[in-house]
Amino acid sequence: MSPDTAAPAGPPPTTEGARPTRAPVLLPLARVGAVVLKRAVLLAMLLALVFLTVELLPGDAATATSERGESGADLQQRRELLGLDRPVLERFWDWMSGLPTGDLGTSARGEKVTDLLSTAFPNTLLLGGLALLLTAALSLALGCWAALRPGGRVDRAVSATATAVLALPEFVVAVALVLVLSLWTGWLPAVTLADADGTPGDWTMLILPALALTVPQVGWNVRIVRAALADEARAPHVETAVLDGLPPHRVLTHHVLPGALPTITAGLATSTGMLLGGAVVVETIFNYPGIGSVLASAVTDRDSPVIAGVTALAGAVITGVLLLADLVRDLTAGVRR
Amino acid sequence: MLWAGGAIGAGALLTACGGGDEKPTASATGGSAKPVKGGTLRVGALGRAGAITRDPHGSQANESDYLILSLIYDTLTVPGTKPNTEPRLAASWKPSADLKTWRFTIAKGAKFHDGAPVTAEDVVFSLKRLRATPSGASRLPGIQEKNISAEGTDTVVIVSDYANAELPLLVRLTTFVIPKGTSDKDIAKAPGTGPFKLDWFRGGNARLVRNEDWYGGDVHLDAIEVKIFESPQAMASALLAGQIDLASNVGAVAARTAESRKDIQTVRRPNDMAMPIVMRTADGPFADPKVREALRLAVDREAMVKQVLSGYGTVANDVLGTGDPAYDKSLPQRTRDLAKAKELLKEAKFDTSKTYELYTTEDISGLAESATLFATQVREAGVKVKVVKQESATFWDKTWLKGDLYTTYWGTNDSVVFFASKTMVSESGTNEAGWKNEDFDAAYEEAIGTAAPVERTALLKVLQKIEYDSSGYLLWGMADGIDLAGPKVHGLPELPGYGRVQLERAWLAR
Repeated sequence: MSPDTAAPAGPPPTTEGARPTRAPVLLPLARVGAVVLKRAVLLAMLLALVFLTVELLPGDAATATSERGESGADLQQRRELLGLDRPVLERFWDWMSGLPTGDLGTSARGEKVTDLLSTAFPNTLLLGGLALLLTAALSLALGCWAALRPGGRVDRAVSATATAVLALPEFVVAVALVLVLSLWTGWLPAVTLADADGTPGDWTMLILPALALTVPQVGWNVRIVRAALADEARAPHVETAVLDGLPPHRVLTHHVLPGALPTITAGLATSTGMLLGGAVVVETIFNYPGIGSVLASAVTDRDSPVIAGVTALAGAVITGVLLLADLVRDLTAGVRR
Repeated sequence: MLWAGGAIGAGALLTACGGGDEKPTASATGGSAKPVKGGTLRVGALGRAGAITRDPHGSQANESDYLILSLIYDTLTVPGTKPNTEPRLAASWKPSADLKTWRFTIAKGAKFHDGAPVTAEDVVFSLKRLRATPSGASRLPGIQEKNISAEGTDTVVIVSDYANAELPLLVRLTTFVIPKGTSDKDIAKAPGTGPFKLDWFRGGNARLVRNEDWYGGDVHLDAIEVKIFESPQAMASALLAGQIDLASNVGAVAARTAESRKDIQTVRRPNDMAMPIVMRTADGPFADPKVREALRLAVDREAMVKQVLSGYGTVANDVLGTGDPAYDKSLPQRTRDLAKAKELLKEAKFDTSKTYELYTTEDISGLAESATLFATQVREAGVKVKVVKQESATFWDKTWLKGDLYTTYWGTNDSVVFFASKTMVSESGTNEAGWKNEDFDAAYEEAIGTAAPVERTALLKVLQKIEYDSSGYLLWGMADGIDLAGPKVHGLPELPGYGRVQLERAWLAR
């Protein structure tokens, strides 16, 4: 149930799509509109799937949130109160029709879902955003560094490390980071504690969780950056630039990188889904006050409105980022023509 | 094998003495040093973000919520050592001769945090509100809403449906008192009467400040900050990194992690959690008492305690309620006897060619492990057991109260009668093993209907003997409750179950 598996599939980060071969952007607004509509329909289907999946899990919200010793009659009463006696599609429709007004429904424990997510979701966005920035900076830097000497020692080392890191699950990275940077050295706080306003009490508490999310994503993105740069390096205009005797770093920044940018952006955009998915795991390890813990307990409670609420928000964010990546591709493609 | 019989006593002794000065446990619980006033205690407690509740009478699935509520609100009585029920908001109580009508007198000077005095009406309102919750009937068993009333300003009268000598124990559970007439909408704002006042609450985290004129005596700490944790591992990390001072009820795994750190105190609260194996007595393969006895003899209790609880626990003797002062220590300790077990199985014509399923969950740590180890052990007696791990909701829905063989757990009480009333008398709604025994029912009724302590203890012995011989429970051991604390923390609670939240006597060394 992690948001990454639930995310609508973005454009595959292949170099194919990045080639400036398509027609220039004729009607950007119409195109954006069509893409938004397509993604919105996908999101709605996804949410329906979430409702149905929760329905298939054993037990329901009434039993999952009951206490020992509650009688069958009490359970039935609560089931009716929560509307669980109604067909799942009807409940889904009720929930969906509240969406336009910003109403995400009520949890099995009677809390407003918007209240449950009002501090948790911004916290996760902060963490995910930070990790995305770090990922972008690190993978661009490492990828370019490796690309400057193709086949050189740095290039081989970066590629090998990236592959190794890519295979590391977030929780392994997280546990190692806590051990080394907190418990052994005492440099950073081991967990995130929330303040009276519900946000992390101290900015240093953001470093370890952001790093734990970043490391595996850097592994993934460095490989994309490196491959995109290699592809672009074979383009005729780059060869011309090289033959003109321009210094390698100038060729890289002015001739190779711009062409590779759409692929790199698409790669980073798909990372957003994985970052949000990884956040669920990382937040638990660092006790970070985000949607991870809300989602985990909602699944335990069979709490469809909460699960769907988290999915809707995460889906909206991922859709937004993918749209941005699409726009970057179209814009650079337009400029290049 | 000899020491096993005294293991329960030894466990209690260990915590009571806490070793010499060089052992950090001594400072945690020992009262030798003089308490210092001041300081903020940062406490970590387990909880799930989605299960947060502010309702003192709601279902408190979160340890963190329960801790916050019990520091703000008071129950009528609280756990003690001997006797196991001590006064709190109810300063004293008196039963009628037939033990059906109980009069509780409210403590002098008890005030809500807004300054209003606590009246009998407030208590009656709170108890009725508690009784009206979905699980109200099991929280206040035998007490109907209409039979709770006020007499004057400071006396609450509770009439039980039957004679019940343990009624004061029942009102120590979640009988949090709030002002009369508090609406559900305002429940989070309801002032309490407890040792701490709420400063702020947000997403399961809270800051509580000292209630300067608490009727219950001196409170040393200026404030307590409660931090919610989803996982015990994160909580242990926070303690080791010095971000919190106390990891409440963090468990054996964390305790083992912290063992190498000399500055961390491990507080063990014996008899905290029972994880018995339930064998269905009403029908099915375990209906024959000989089969149940055989399984009780096939289990290696010491190995269970050592491996499942990492040694943080004590061997038990199939009787639930080990923390009760009336717990019968004279019953011979059952130890492993495979020959006898095989003989009993043969006599009962138990089908050893079949494989039996043992249902369990991962609700609490160690539970599924206990099932796996048990299965390995009984195989040596010729019983083939396959462990089936169920998802929590499925387990409570499909297996609990119905299964032939499953694990269960109880972490809220320490009284023999509590378990008898909830899980073993014939008409109990949560009779986990489907056990019906007329002698037991009679012994139970007589025991709870007897006020004189000496006679009652004798009757409870009869009750425990029947339970020991033929109930559906295999109680192999009792897990300690384990808290971890930083070096400065003193005066921590050492009682099992609900005792863990009594932090009003805690203090911080300078």
